Amino acid sequence: MLTHEPLRRFSGTRKDHDRAVRTVCQECTVGCGLLAYVKDERIVDIQGDEAHPVSRGRLCAKGMAFIQGVTHPDRITLPATRNGLQGPFEAVDNWEKGLDLLAERLRKTKDRHGPESLVVGCDPEAGLDFFLGALRFARLWGTPHVYHPLGEPKDLMPPVDLIDPWAPCSSWLESQCIFLVEADLATTHPVAFGWVLDAQQRGARVFAVDARFTTTLSKADMAVVIRPESGNLLGLVLMKMLIEEGFCTQESVKNRFLEPDAWLTSFNEMSLDNVEQKIGLAAEDILPMVRFLAGNKSLTLVTGKRLAFFPFHGIWSTMARAMGWADNTGGGWYPLESGWPRLNTTGDIAGADDKFPAVKKTGLAPYQFTTDWVAAAREMEPKALICTGNCLNDFFSPFQPRVNEMDLITYFGSYPNLTRKLAHMVFPAAVWAERDGLCFTNDRTIQWGNRIVWPSDACRSGLGLWIRLAQRFGWEEYFPWKKENGLADHTAFYNWVLDQFPETSGCRVEQLQETSQPVCWPVQNKAQPPPKITPIHAPPDTEPTIGSEEEDRFPLRFQATRIISRTSDVVYWWPWTRELMAENAVQIHPEIAQVLGIENGEDILVSGAVQTMEGSAWISRMVPRWMVWSPRKFGERRVVVHKKRQTSQEAFDILKAFLP
Amino acid sequence: MSQEQQKKDENRKNVLLVDSSRCIGCFSCEVACKLEHDLPAGPRMFKVIQIGPVENGDDLLMNFMAVTCLHCDRPACVLACPTGAMQKRADGIVFSDPELCIGCRTCAVACPFGSHSSIPQQARLPNAMAAWPGWNKASGLRAPSSAPRAP
Repeated sequence: MLTHEPLRRFSGTRKDHDRAVRTVCQECTVGCGLLAYVKDERIVDIQGDEAHPVSRGRLCAKGMAFIQGVTHPDRITLPATRNGLQGPFEAVDNWEKGLDLLAERLRKTKDRHGPESLVVGCDPEAGLDFFLGALRFARLWGTPHVYHPLGEPKDLMPPVDLIDPWAPCSSWLESQCIFLVEADLATTHPVAFGWVLDAQQRGARVFAVDARFTTTLSKADMAVVIRPESGNLLGLVLMKMLIEEGFCTQESVKNRFLEPDAWLTSFNEMSLDNVEQKIGLAAEDILPMVRFLAGNKSLTLVTGKRLAFFPFHGIWSTMARAMGWADNTGGGWYPLESGWPRLNTTGDIAGADDKFPAVKKTGLAPYQFTTDWVAAAREMEPKALICTGNCLNDFFSPFQPRVNEMDLITYFGSYPNLTRKLAHMVFPAAVWAERDGLCFTNDRTIQWGNRIVWPSDACRSGLGLWIRLAQRFGWEEYFPWKKENGLADHTAFYNWVLDQFPETSGCRVEQLQETSQPVCWPVQNKAQPPPKITPIHAPPDTEPTIGSEEEDRFPLRFQATRIISRTSDVVYWWPWTRELMAENAVQIHPEIAQVLGIENGEDILVSGAVQTMEGSAWISRMVPRWMVWSPRKFGERRVVVHKKRQTSQEAFDILKAFLP
Repeated sequence: MSQEQQKKDENRKNVLLVDSSRCIGCFSCEVACKLEHDLPAGPRMFKVIQIGPVENGDDLLMNFMAVTCLHCDRPACVLACPTGAMQKRADGIVFSDPELCIGCRTCAVACPFGSHSSIPQQARLPNAMAAWPGWNKASGLRAPSSAPRAP
């Protein structure tokens, strides 16, 4: 008889090392604990921290492969400048000289075009300190234009009164059902998905809906494909049906909501016309979903980041309360990428004489290629850009065709990417392994990430950049977080940051530095029962999607989402993960490939109204017939795919006859 | 080795079992293997492959499989090896002796799972396990680095 025992997990390393550093992986927002082993100031091994309550010693590919980026020979190590965008860069001896030049050029641009001509792009790669520093510097400068892919800290986080009791992913073990909406957790946060699998093994049923048959859907007990970005509308319809089928009692609603009758009426009156067109599901397809959800006492709703950028996002919190799920362990709403508190990092500046008049916030987050963002970016007239990561090829790509109109493009980064190619000035940035920093996680916890190794002399942290730049404009008092040796004091800075929000103010960095146990916020747990809330009401009608001329000409919907081995362009400098999946893959449905005569692996073109992208065909049923998917972002939402020797019109004619 | 120990080893043969029902194709095992053994990009000692989605009635099915040396009970590579480099130890471990290997790749052809891979920098062909310095050390068997670290 064959018996087996699982391999025992082991801790420690077999590699020779001088010291071990306990820290937090900052490649995503799960916040896995890791131990880095260092020999002669080089990282020789990475192991998961077995004592960490979220990651339990597990790490994903990104959490190990990042070390290849730290020591990559192409790292930018010197500040550099040039006059035009064509010539070679000239190295600047040191940061101080470089910053003098930057300050002078920024000042000139401000004199000529006003303060709002400065636009700052904050890629997560540059760190939380860069983003928070940028918000502060921009406030003093007088520009509202600071953009981060996760939006302002307040954009993704539900209002404080809607925050459910703290329920980390480990509490999913108590869930009877986990419902994932447009959240491909298995791909974007694989270590957190381990808890979904564990819960499933303990009897929880997993239900996933998304626009593609993702890995998460493949592991679910019930998987449904919907139209992209229609998740919140599906939430409204589910809520209506849960009420109509009698699964949501009036009594429970009365205890939790202000004006419960008006709320119930709004759902009773909600029209289901146009819903099928918008979600891609008929009412009779949704009914089994309702029955799947109803009857669970503890149900966790996991929603993807992009849903936060669409109307009615609060329906998930409303549903979790109306159904009573939020009252039980293993139940409630878990919005991804929403673990940042609503930090106010400029409140103290508002009171400073009238020296810094308030600027109008656009309130718009650069969620990739929503028509809103592309339109807003087209209307803006930036003359000076401060870029991080590869943002000109990402959320700042609407500015890419206009780089020649800019007076100054500054790149603060670590690698020679496209953004650097389009810059006038370059400043070398430390990567997260080279700086101390605070991490907010999906679980709504606060952790401290210790620096593993020192960066090379010329690389600085984001806070270091802003402190020095502010100095040149006489704003030292607003950036006081400096050590005696002139370097940025991240401990003092983040202590100040934590104090800026009542829900985190009880927490000190020193306390976090001593432990590998994350601290959850709100730090002070309020024992009283949650107050009644104003729930999200249903809209009377759902407006039909009116087919635009663009949609007629480009019959396929394009979607780009993250792949498991890639967080951002930085992966280009990690050979271990780069080889795992083709970055130029373009997923098309087998039936579409067949009618167009496209073979698997063939070089093809994806064309939209303005842009065309080359790619390699990956024929797969992961995409529905009407969708084209790629890990690479691309400024088009409606496209047609075609062979290289075929025009987009020829492909369109074939598809028109084929698609309904 | 005492007779008793040998008998004990034979009763406790090591094979590698991967629970594919939990595999999400995250490639952590591939990268962990490379980190542990200082391997370059290129050869994939562990290779995660995606199977599907395939249609199953109205549903779709998709699975992932981590392909690596399974330390088969009757290893085809050991039977095929012309020089005797590929061997199977009493405790079940399949390995290649780099002193005997001539790099003919017969083992790679023989493997029914396609798990043999080579490191281009080296002239001779180590199988997935021969590339693993820990295997042949008398000091004891190390667990495969990848398995306990995957999410």
